Amino acid sequence: MTGSSGRSYILFSVAGTTYAVGTEDVRHMEMIEQITPMPNAGEYLEGVVFSRGQIVPVLNLRARFGLEKAAHDLRTRLVVVQSGERWVGLVVDSAREFVRIPDAAIQPPSHAMSALSTNYVEGIASLGDRLVLVLDVARILDTSMLPVPAASSTDDLARSAMPATETPR
Amino acid sequence: MNGALDQPGDDFVSGFLDDYFAECEEHLEVVRRGLMALEGAVGDSAGEAALLDELFRSYHSLKGISAMVDVREAERLAHELEGYLRRLRDRELALAPDSVAVLIDSTALLESVIAARRAALPPPPIQPAVERLASLSNQPPPAAPANGTAPAQGTEPSAASATWRFSFVPTPALVDRGIKVDSVRSRLSAVGRIMSVMPRVTPRGGITFEFIVTGPADPSSFEAWRQDGLSWERIEAAAGPLAEHASAEPSLRPAPVTLSEAGILAPSHFVRVDLNRLDDVMSRVADLVITRARLEENLARVERMLPAQEWRLLQENTLTMERQLRHLREDVMRVRLVRVDEIFRRMPFVARDVAREARKDVRVVLKGQGTEIDKFLVERMMDPVLHLVRNAVSHGIEPAEHRVAAGKPAQGTITLSASTSGEMVLLEIADDGAGIDTALVAERARAAGARLPDGPIDPGTLLELICEPGFSTRDEADRASGRGMGMSVVRKTVQELGGSVTLDTAAGRGTSFLISLPLTLAITDALIAIAGSHRFAVPQSSVQEVIEVEDAAVRRMENNELIPYRGQALPLVRLRTLFALGAASAPRFHAFVIGTGQDAVALAVDRILGQREIVVRTMSDALLKVDGIPGATELGDGRVVLILDVAALSRQARSGSSGARPAVQRTGAAALSAGQPVGGGVA
Repeated sequence: MTGSSGRSYILFSVAGTTYAVGTEDVRHMEMIEQITPMPNAGEYLEGVVFSRGQIVPVLNLRARFGLEKAAHDLRTRLVVVQSGERWVGLVVDSAREFVRIPDAAIQPPSHAMSALSTNYVEGIASLGDRLVLVLDVARILDTSMLPVPAASSTDDLARSAMPATETPR
Repeated sequence: MNGALDQPGDDFVSGFLDDYFAECEEHLEVVRRGLMALEGAVGDSAGEAALLDELFRSYHSLKGISAMVDVREAERLAHELEGYLRRLRDRELALAPDSVAVLIDSTALLESVIAARRAALPPPPIQPAVERLASLSNQPPPAAPANGTAPAQGTEPSAASATWRFSFVPTPALVDRGIKVDSVRSRLSAVGRIMSVMPRVTPRGGITFEFIVTGPADPSSFEAWRQDGLSWERIEAAAGPLAEHASAEPSLRPAPVTLSEAGILAPSHFVRVDLNRLDDVMSRVADLVITRARLEENLARVERMLPAQEWRLLQENTLTMERQLRHLREDVMRVRLVRVDEIFRRMPFVARDVAREARKDVRVVLKGQGTEIDKFLVERMMDPVLHLVRNAVSHGIEPAEHRVAAGKPAQGTITLSASTSGEMVLLEIADDGAGIDTALVAERARAAGARLPDGPIDPGTLLELICEPGFSTRDEADRASGRGMGMSVVRKTVQELGGSVTLDTAAGRGTSFLISLPLTLAITDALIAIAGSHRFAVPQSSVQEVIEVEDAAVRRMENNELIPYRGQALPLVRLRTLFALGAASAPRFHAFVIGTGQDAVALAVDRILGQREIVVRTMSDALLKVDGIPGATELGDGRVVLILDVAALSRQARSGSSGARPAVQRTGAAALSAGQPVGGGVA
């Protein structure tokens, strides 16, 4: 996040709100065709698709943000993002814009915002009279921030056993 | 890095670099073994001299090949190591207790210099190590002059030496007798000094290896080798220019002409293949498998339009093609197999290094090094095994005095074993140390806020706890291990490879980690089944039998369903129930019989559509970790079909956990109903 030239972003909308993700985090976008549902997975996981030779998990952003899911229509898009080695598809209501946002136009999220959003919103950008929430892709994909789907009670237990009190090195 | 290598179009040199790295690895391997053995040989002056000489020659070769490809830092470091070794070998310096330590450290640095070049990264600083070695080599000779002792092993070119050109033609018969380039190389280095090795392609396409060796003038010592595919001729009397003093200078570098004669052939073994190329070949085979499957489908569709005779011919063709593809696939997979020794043989060195630092006495026992595993697994498992071995030394094995006090041998033992079991490879890393202090781990975890049941914790929970990122029972992390990230990385890597880790520990008796990994399974035979509107693939190897069940024959007892099967009652588990796909009401359906004896169950689906070869893609993303669904495949229509681990599913069903988990049922149903409708198209 250095320099004043800013980064380019893909804008998409979910339930009437506009979100932005950095283009360097986006692999590609596609129309949604066949999603194979994944049994016994969390509600936010819509299933898997075969995209560019890979099996890619599909995350429903409405569900991820705690909203009602909506039926797919012609404007629904799959935004395949990358975080490290992972490729994950995000189902969004529509995705049509590509903009450059100066770093100066992005302010950190307010503490007064609801806890749900601040978990994965990196900042708030003002584009003319529009407000756009800039998403932190790594945090959206962070499974420890997702409700635990299946019955891995020991995982759960172990996770709670390890707060940051012990330094890793 | 340097101008010569980066010139455009200089593919030849970059191809040669790959060989350089491979050859470095071989020399470093010799060095590692030599350094290990050197400790044991202290006091045995003949053994020591031989080792020092071998080390000297390895460093000398490393210097030479590094100079050839212009890896300056490696050349410089190897030069200092060589110089120090020369003085040690020639008894001008005594082998001090910390000499080996310095050699090990410098060798590790040399390794990282080479690794940095390979990764196109800037090399680590070498100056401190160079200075340390230089100051060691420049010490005055010990009080007792070296002249009184015998010269080292007579491998130096002396007055009675000659230069020989040895030719070795490898054949399968010789390989069967254990005579390979490597063994020839060691034979030759036993009688003299190998000045160069050059593979040559014979006009008929075979390979000959040519060794230029300075050795004894009298060929009687190798007369017996004629029957081993070796022949030789004398070139010239060895004098000045080829001798060692000059060879440090550029004269060691073969002229470019010589390099192009060597071509891209590997300096030893038969062929070296980039793993990526093998992957490419494998994915082409996978494509072919899918294309053939499509062909068969299309053929089935036109069956009625063709005269029976014509159709049968085509059908025969695709069946032949299927068989041939299967053979091709097996051959490609076999090419990818390497000995697990590629991981194991490094470990004694690693253990020794850590043990030296921790002031412990440890030996490493290797078992089943010949077990073959996929090269990819070797690459991925190197670090996890390394970590477990380090852990075993620094946390597992107790200091000698504690061991003796506990009535154990002072020297700790770490045992690495490998074996195959069905479609899995098992790797075990065991130590005979103190065992994991379960109470301490539990205490730490509780102190950190873990909700643990009272009383002792079971091995599974213990493993979960120590695999958490950040977990450590040490207050300050030591260099070798105790970096809390370690175990979590071990488990993550194994899980990504579709394997599992289990832990067994007993206070005072030691700790053992058992890692099981799938053998390479990129393509497998599967049965395609349908349940609800979903298709699933079930690996054929896990299915005992496929049966058709009359719904009327199903008996319900309490919460269980049973069907008659071979005079017995077989528990029936419905995939629709497991996956919350809604109830079915068909008069008859298909089921897979899984497991035997007490463990046997019938897994019911709606219908089994047929058998196919599938390309297995593991689902490693953390979002996709669902019990019983280790991977997925695509059958050529762009749609993902989930692969079922029926053994895990039946275990899950038997333990009753799936039925007793309303949360799972609910979210499962939600996930399935939310997706786009998936047609019940037949594969």
